[in-house]
Amino acid sequence: MMPNNEPTDARDAQVVPKKPAAEVDSELAFHLEQRVQANIARGMTPEDARRAALERFGDLSGVRAECTELLAADRRAEARRDWFGDLAQDVRFAVRGALRTPVFSVLVTVTLMLGIGANAAVFGTVKSVLLNPLPYADAGRLVRIFCPYRSQGVIRGALSAGTISDVRERQHSFESLAAFLPVRDAIYSADEPTIVKSMFVEPQLFRTLGVVPVRGTAFRDEDAEHDTTTAVMISYGAWQRFFGGSDETIGKTIRFNGIGRTIIGVLPRNFVPPENEVDFYQPLSTRLFMRDPIGVRGSHSFGFVGRLKPGVTVEGADRELNGIGAELEQLYAKDNLGIGLSAMSLRDAMVGDTRTPLLILLASAGLVLIIMCANLAGALLSRTMSRRKEFAVRVALGAGRERLVRQLLTESILYALAGGAAGLVLASLALRLVRTLAAASLPSYASLSLDVTAVIVMAAVALLAGLAFGVGPSLAAGRGDPQRTLRDESRGTSEGRRTRHARGVLVAGQIALCVSLLAGAALLGRSLWAIMNSPLGFQTHQLLTLSLQLPNAKYPTADSRVAVHDRIEEALHAVPGVQNVAFTSQLPTKVTNSNGLFIENAPWAPNQPVPFILTVRATDDYYKTLSIPVRQGRAFSTVDRGDAPPAIIINDAMAAKFWPKGDALGARVHIGPPNPNQPWFTVVGIVGNVRNDPTKLVPEPMMFLSQRQEPFGDNILIRTSGEPTALTAGVRKAIATVDPSLPMYNLAKLDDVVGTTFAPQKLPVVLMTAFGALALLIASVGVYAMFATLAAAREREFGVRIALGATRGGIAGLVVRQGGLWMLVGLAAGGIGVAFVGRLLRGQLFGIPELDPIAIGASVLILAVCAGLALLVPIRRAARVDPITVLR
Amino acid sequence: MFAKESGLLQGTAELLILKTLSWGPMHGYGIATWIESATKDVLSVEEGSLYPALYRMTHKGWIRAQWRVTENNRRAKYYQLTAEGRRQFREQSSGWQRFAAAVSLAVNSRTAPSWAK
Repeated sequence: MMPNNEPTDARDAQVVPKKPAAEVDSELAFHLEQRVQANIARGMTPEDARRAALERFGDLSGVRAECTELLAADRRAEARRDWFGDLAQDVRFAVRGALRTPVFSVLVTVTLMLGIGANAAVFGTVKSVLLNPLPYADAGRLVRIFCPYRSQGVIRGALSAGTISDVRERQHSFESLAAFLPVRDAIYSADEPTIVKSMFVEPQLFRTLGVVPVRGTAFRDEDAEHDTTTAVMISYGAWQRFFGGSDETIGKTIRFNGIGRTIIGVLPRNFVPPENEVDFYQPLSTRLFMRDPIGVRGSHSFGFVGRLKPGVTVEGADRELNGIGAELEQLYAKDNLGIGLSAMSLRDAMVGDTRTPLLILLASAGLVLIIMCANLAGALLSRTMSRRKEFAVRVALGAGRERLVRQLLTESILYALAGGAAGLVLASLALRLVRTLAAASLPSYASLSLDVTAVIVMAAVALLAGLAFGVGPSLAAGRGDPQRTLRDESRGTSEGRRTRHARGVLVAGQIALCVSLLAGAALLGRSLWAIMNSPLGFQTHQLLTLSLQLPNAKYPTADSRVAVHDRIEEALHAVPGVQNVAFTSQLPTKVTNSNGLFIENAPWAPNQPVPFILTVRATDDYYKTLSIPVRQGRAFSTVDRGDAPPAIIINDAMAAKFWPKGDALGARVHIGPPNPNQPWFTVVGIVGNVRNDPTKLVPEPMMFLSQRQEPFGDNILIRTSGEPTALTAGVRKAIATVDPSLPMYNLAKLDDVVGTTFAPQKLPVVLMTAFGALALLIASVGVYAMFATLAAAREREFGVRIALGATRGGIAGLVVRQGGLWMLVGLAAGGIGVAFVGRLLRGQLFGIPELDPIAIGASVLILAVCAGLALLVPIRRAARVDPITVLR
Repeated sequence: MFAKESGLLQGTAELLILKTLSWGPMHGYGIATWIESATKDVLSVEEGSLYPALYRMTHKGWIRAQWRVTENNRRAKYYQLTAEGRRQFREQSSGWQRFAAAVSLAVNSRTAPSWAK
């Protein structure tokens, strides 16, 4: 019914309206009774009167149904109006309340912004890496095939051409398979030569991935059959960058690696190959590689992807490949011993090692959010307590308890939404930072942005957070007894045992989670410190590096390459400030090339896999330039040229592992795929250890070949007397005097190059430390708030105690005891959390134990100090209570 | 009373209800009896059809309902005009009068049209 202001008969005023059907029934019943009585009054018998009344009324059941329907619809509309009316009122109240306490509101909103912002940023990253679809059709059926090298601990090893052909002949799991070679640098010459990324792929790669070019066509199978093929495909990015996105690009002839080639297709904008990023694609035929009798199984360089037949699982394909791998191991023991075959979903292969760190970060951000909720719950609880009078008055004036609870929930949700909106802005800024900081260590398909789904998820998280921290305090407000609150003035400012416990539990929880988070950050930080501070084995300061690309067309022979290297070295020495110059195949900490090792007169046992050793090609001054000590024998010299017996230099780790008796010098070895025609390499020197993989603190065995005998790789290292980058122009000019057409790229300080090696390790540490600091700040505020409220609530009592002769120290002790207990509970619970975090991080820690006492001790100490500082103010205030002021 | 067979338009029913309630709050039975007596029992069939009209008018906000006690100490649902209801009544009754006058003018006319033979 509508509300009514007209005078009514109070006795009969209906408080709770009846159900629509019942109301209609009683109304119609009244009508019929009246009519029956009127009929009786006119002299009818009761039966006649009843019949006449019904007859006169007409279609009773029809009227009844129609009226019930109309009334029910009215009631529903009214309920809706009420609900929205209440909501509008709640929101108005909440906004007014928030504006009345601006400092509190800003603090709550900022806290929420940080908490939700951190979560949104991490979630955005996790979503784009782990959840967003790969840029391929029906990507769930795509699989990457690897050769695990058991003896080396390598899981994702490359395949040989022979293995690829064998898998093709034997497999039944895939409807199509495609091989590709790793990305390499190439020269695209437009106005001036530019270094671009190129990749050889089998023509069926794009079919297998289910990708169609946006312009032109994909490779045809016959494009790969001839050595003379000139077709290339380009990425969308290269199309935009080099050709301005012009439609005339298709069919255009360009100079690529010194040869004229034709662009036949442009790939879609979001396309990335199964690994790395590539600008130019060239057709590949593995058949050409089958002609090399030694490399066919001895050289492992191919990547391999497949599309599963419908109904075949990745596990099924993996089992089949394991079987094929075992068969090949027996069949070609010389090459394949210790090498298996395995399948992995393409997503997992592309996500790679980033999954665990990302999930750890997501968990950390979640912890921050929980700590934040606990903290806000505590804060709102205090606010509720201080507003008890207000609520009591409203309950006394007839506000329902549900309305009160609902209004407080509206308040907290309003805060949550405001904080959430600010958090999303913060997150999109943070993601921009992550993109620059971490792009290299995340898969190339990840867009790292907040899309609509991410925003919706985060809005839901904000809403949930608002409910989570609002529900406790709201219920506490609804529970209070208005009469007692209003009557007893002193109780209005004190808090009950129940809320005190609730607050204690909240603070203990915050401390427990905060310790866990801090311990995680400290463990990762210590691990990073160990990685960065264990000696690299070479000098990175005052070193300039750059790369050249010698076009095959212009420098086809080893001799021509050696000659140009010599001339460049000479020209560089003439640049003022240059001290040493060296060429190398791969820069320090970036070595990926490994070769099999065979020692003269010490063949590997038939069941013993051939060890693969990191291999670097280096010039004579390499060790001098990098300050790597020569322990025994000599560095490369002018002797190691051309047809002279090939020389090899090994590091300490390799000498100790393979020549434990110390007779390495002078030993003779074969390297690479076993080839009886290859001359023996003689060990001429032993040098100090150099770290390559940053996560391996114990240096790996490494061997060096003379770059003058095997002139591959055109990376230059220049030791300078001053700031390396100051020489950039001089170095460029010197090289240009030798050959002005040579493209130079990757000009950088070695310091920076090595720094990028550590980047993937740094990101989780930076983020987790940030989360830890955030959690610490929030938890400290929580501790402060608990003690402040605790002390304030007992101020009167303290006044009395002091008046009765209690010492101020005694009062302080009282406060500490009451709150300190909860802190101890929190720390104890934190112990469990720390153990859990240590286990979770086990795979991510290098050089320290998973329960490193220094890291854990430090995090507990930091928390204790912060909590102690947070305690100081309320305790001092409690101890300084002036009995006269308080008691008056 | 206002069923389709009676030939009375719904608008007429509403006008009669508004008129009845312009005397003061009344329950459904009272409204029905007053309309019957005021129209000299011309509209005395199918009283039930009054109620859906009352509910619709409540929905439109012309009248509002309230349970009260009758003189005989019985509980009954009383309807009364809202401000909007009073406005509707003024508009509709003057409209009706103009309409009825116009119709009766035509029906009683003694001036034959020019084409009448």
